[in-house]
Amino acid sequence: MTGPALRARIGSFTFHGDTVPVLRDIELAPAAGTLTAVLGGSGSGKTTLGKLLGGWLQAGPGGSLSGGLELGPTRLLFRGGPDDPRINPAAWSGRVAYVPQDAATMLSTVRSTVAEELAFGLENRGVPREDMRREVARTAALTGLTALLDRDPATLSGGELRRLALGCAVITGPEVLVLDEPLASLDSGGAVLIQDLVRELLGAGTAVVLLSQTADGLARAASHWIVLDRGVATAGGPPEELEGSSELEQAGVVLPDRPGAGEGTGRAVRRSGSGTPGAPVLELHSLAYGYGHARKPSAVPREQVLRDLELAVHAGEIVAVTGANGAGKSTLLRHVNGLLRPGAGEVRVCGRNIAGSPTGLVAASVGLLFQHPREQLFERTVLREVSFGLRGLFGTDAADRAQAALAAVGLSGFADAHPGELPSSAQRLLALATVLAREPAVLALDEPTVGLDRHGLELLRRAVEATAERGAAVVMVTHDLGYARATAHRVLELSGGRLREA
Amino acid sequence: MRARLHPLTALTGAACTAVVTTAAASWVFSVAVTLAVAVLAARAGVARQVLPAAAVILAPLCVSLLVLHGLFFPEGQTALASWGPARVTAEGLRFALELATRTAACVLALLLFSFTVSVPDLVSALAERKLPPQFVFVLASTLALLPAIAGRLVRIRQAQEARGLVLRGGLLSRLGAVRLQMVPLVLGLIEDAGSRAQALDARGFGGGAPRTSYREVPDPPAQRWFRAAALLAAAGAVVIRLALSWPPGVQP
Amino acid sequence: MSQPSLTLPAAGQAAGRGRRLLEIAGAAAIAGTYIFLVLTQPADIANGPASFSALVALGGFLLGAVLLILAVLPVLPTSTLVLMPVALVLNVVLGQLMGTTGLPFYFDAIGTVLIAVLAGPAAGAATGALSSIVWSFFNPTVLPFAAGAALIGFLAGLAARGGQFRRFYLAPVAGFGTGILAGVVSAPIAAFVFGGTSGLGTGAIVSAFRAMGDSLFAAITKQALISDPMDKAIVFAIAALLAYALPRRATFAFPFVRRFGVLAGKAPGTPKA
Repeated sequence: MTGPALRARIGSFTFHGDTVPVLRDIELAPAAGTLTAVLGGSGSGKTTLGKLLGGWLQAGPGGSLSGGLELGPTRLLFRGGPDDPRINPAAWSGRVAYVPQDAATMLSTVRSTVAEELAFGLENRGVPREDMRREVARTAALTGLTALLDRDPATLSGGELRRLALGCAVITGPEVLVLDEPLASLDSGGAVLIQDLVRELLGAGTAVVLLSQTADGLARAASHWIVLDRGVATAGGPPEELEGSSELEQAGVVLPDRPGAGEGTGRAVRRSGSGTPGAPVLELHSLAYGYGHARKPSAVPREQVLRDLELAVHAGEIVAVTGANGAGKSTLLRHVNGLLRPGAGEVRVCGRNIAGSPTGLVAASVGLLFQHPREQLFERTVLREVSFGLRGLFGTDAADRAQAALAAVGLSGFADAHPGELPSSAQRLLALATVLAREPAVLALDEPTVGLDRHGLELLRRAVEATAERGAAVVMVTHDLGYARATAHRVLELSGGRLREA
Repeated sequence: MRARLHPLTALTGAACTAVVTTAAASWVFSVAVTLAVAVLAARAGVARQVLPAAAVILAPLCVSLLVLHGLFFPEGQTALASWGPARVTAEGLRFALELATRTAACVLALLLFSFTVSVPDLVSALAERKLPPQFVFVLASTLALLPAIAGRLVRIRQAQEARGLVLRGGLLSRLGAVRLQMVPLVLGLIEDAGSRAQALDARGFGGGAPRTSYREVPDPPAQRWFRAAALLAAAGAVVIRLALSWPPGVQP
Repeated sequence: MSQPSLTLPAAGQAAGRGRRLLEIAGAAAIAGTYIFLVLTQPADIANGPASFSALVALGGFLLGAVLLILAVLPVLPTSTLVLMPVALVLNVVLGQLMGTTGLPFYFDAIGTVLIAVLAGPAAGAATGALSSIVWSFFNPTVLPFAAGAALIGFLAGLAARGGQFRRFYLAPVAGFGTGILAGVVSAPIAAFVFGGTSGLGTGAIVSAFRAMGDSLFAAITKQALISDPMDKAIVFAIAALLAYALPRRATFAFPFVRRFGVLAGKAPGTPKA
């Protein structure tokens, strides 16, 4: 291999209107056929770096860059002034391709089949139809999409969508491929497919840059690590050297081998204090649910998602529910606050059957944190967001409760920020704070760990434990078995519509 | 089953039908067109979608026309009945009939097109005709976004109910709820649009280079001839109408 | 295939002239059609539906709207273009959401006005016209109103540039003015193409004027002058509310907002002047 495929030197990069640069002092020179991992916690600037490398964010229109980019014989020098070269995104991204974490944003939304979506980038570059056919077939074979070529992209599963986005990026044959959290929220089967694909691309001579907040198996396969902490590259070198370094720890990178990042005290508090558990706070009795119930109660439900399900959670207890994708975990959780109504059986909160109470009222005793926190937020500032509806519950005490909840998730310093401006991990913590502030008797969490770095996971663990100690019942649904074991008193598995001890 | 219509053939047919009907200005012709379109819709198997959609649009318009012209038509001579200021005239009823049937014919023809056309084929056909790709993008993207919005609104409402938002009957509280739902909806859509713009540019959308099309839409010569004939007929109808009723006092 | 250049040529203002001509031609087509229609309006509609006026109104207004779209669309940056489907969807969906509150307004221009505020008059005009064209896919009766919708977007953009959205109470005033002009321009379509209005409430107002002996065109114009300004004042206020509810980083990312100081307050993070 001769020299790096791309050489990037970022002295500083600042968004328009900001005074503080989001990226500083980063050097990157991935060589052909090698894997480079950029590791950093949430808000470390990984995505900004990836977009800058891949031509999604251009120096000039997107912000002010001082530094240099070198691709083949082309050397571009940026000083942050008006005379800087302007990158042609179409040409640049054909050779340095970026794949976002949210694969759906990669799609054009205007193509009706996977094959046409793959071809979109070629159409725009004026490639003749015959060549397009060949390239689409080749890329589909590479990404394992051949059987799905005629499907509507909107109907793909998360893993298939991720592979389609990858296919859209590699169809132009880029020399450098930048992958942003390619394994996030994939189940193990989906993750293996992506890892194989990366190996194949490396073998074909592509330089791959991985952006990740977890030092997972894929990151361990890298030959070079760069640790990114609040926009600055604090360390760089081979993985063996950096593993266990204080820089990695500081940056908030999740190390899967050590799940109890703050030694899981979870099991220690197991029903401490109350020698005998009182009546359960949350009870599900012979619950059954099948899609199709709600509209036509008389019709035979097509698919029974939950059947004869029993669950009792006592005060101070933390229960984790795991299960494969599509096992009905989220469906189960939505019964707890009445968003879904059971076809048979009953849901009791604090001993009262919630049938007949609207969700908005059940919410006074049940707090549910959703998978997509952005949809749960609607106010102008973080403080107003947490304070929403508190006055009715606590009266004059409301302001203190709001501040306490913000402090619990480490967002006190952002009280005046707009929720939409926070990074997605902070949005998740803010949504958690809005639920915590109401001090519900039951706390229900849907995949709470997704997108959280080590610091975020620590805050989440502490908040969950504090809630349990206060005497609330906690139910969480997660695909992260390690986290479930470390935090929960009981881990249950949902399969075949029933719960059993995992 | 007939060979599939090229989307531009269907579009030309529907548009020319609407133009000719407007130019003809005869309720008999309009009713004939309406019936013909209804038969075509039934044969295409979309009558169950087209007719209710048309009814939702046309019913309020027709009621409004009937009340307006049936009761208040000061130009009318032949009074059939009168209550105070309201006067039912033969001319008014005829005027309402003319306009209602004309609008019905045009709406049905165009709706038949929308409900039968394959949007991907239309998009690809428009792109091949060198229409600005931006126009094609806005059309296709809107049609793709619309059904997704409903699901998004449901998710937002559920997330907010889970935070203790209770929807009550009062007007003010409902307006407030609409505001609370609009903010995350608009914000989410605009954020998605921002990253989509970057992705589109990276995939070469913004470049001015000539484009090609992956999807092939067959366009048999017979359909080209049909389109030319339909356009000629529509142009002829317009010219005749303009010539016949060119208003006196205005020189062409 | 030769490797395309990785950089773009320095920014130039080439090819702006042809676009400007198209814009002027589009505006002229709309204005000319309106004047022609007023001058030649049939004195006596009792002889039958005004087919002549309907064809002229349809042809002239649609031609104007299409010219405006052709002039504006190809030069819009992709970041503005991707907002248009959002605006179109908002026009449709927010209109329906408002419909559930039972208020007697249409609110079908909120997205158009929002784009105009963020991206300027040209983008607003194109959004309005496109909105009518795309919406006509489901409801063909909105197609003839494309020119009026374009005018709303254009005027909203002008109002934003002139600082009408910097004070919250000015936005409805600008909306009121826009409503007057938009109502006047749309009246010939309602009168000559549809012969009335589709709403029962608006129909009642037209009936009242007809009972007083007005011509149909005059009655519909007067009705439009009553309903449209109210509707647009509320729509402008809602669009302003939305614009201020968005994160400042999102709104100030638009060069139009930064350049003309469209919204009150400083750009995020800029030091105090």
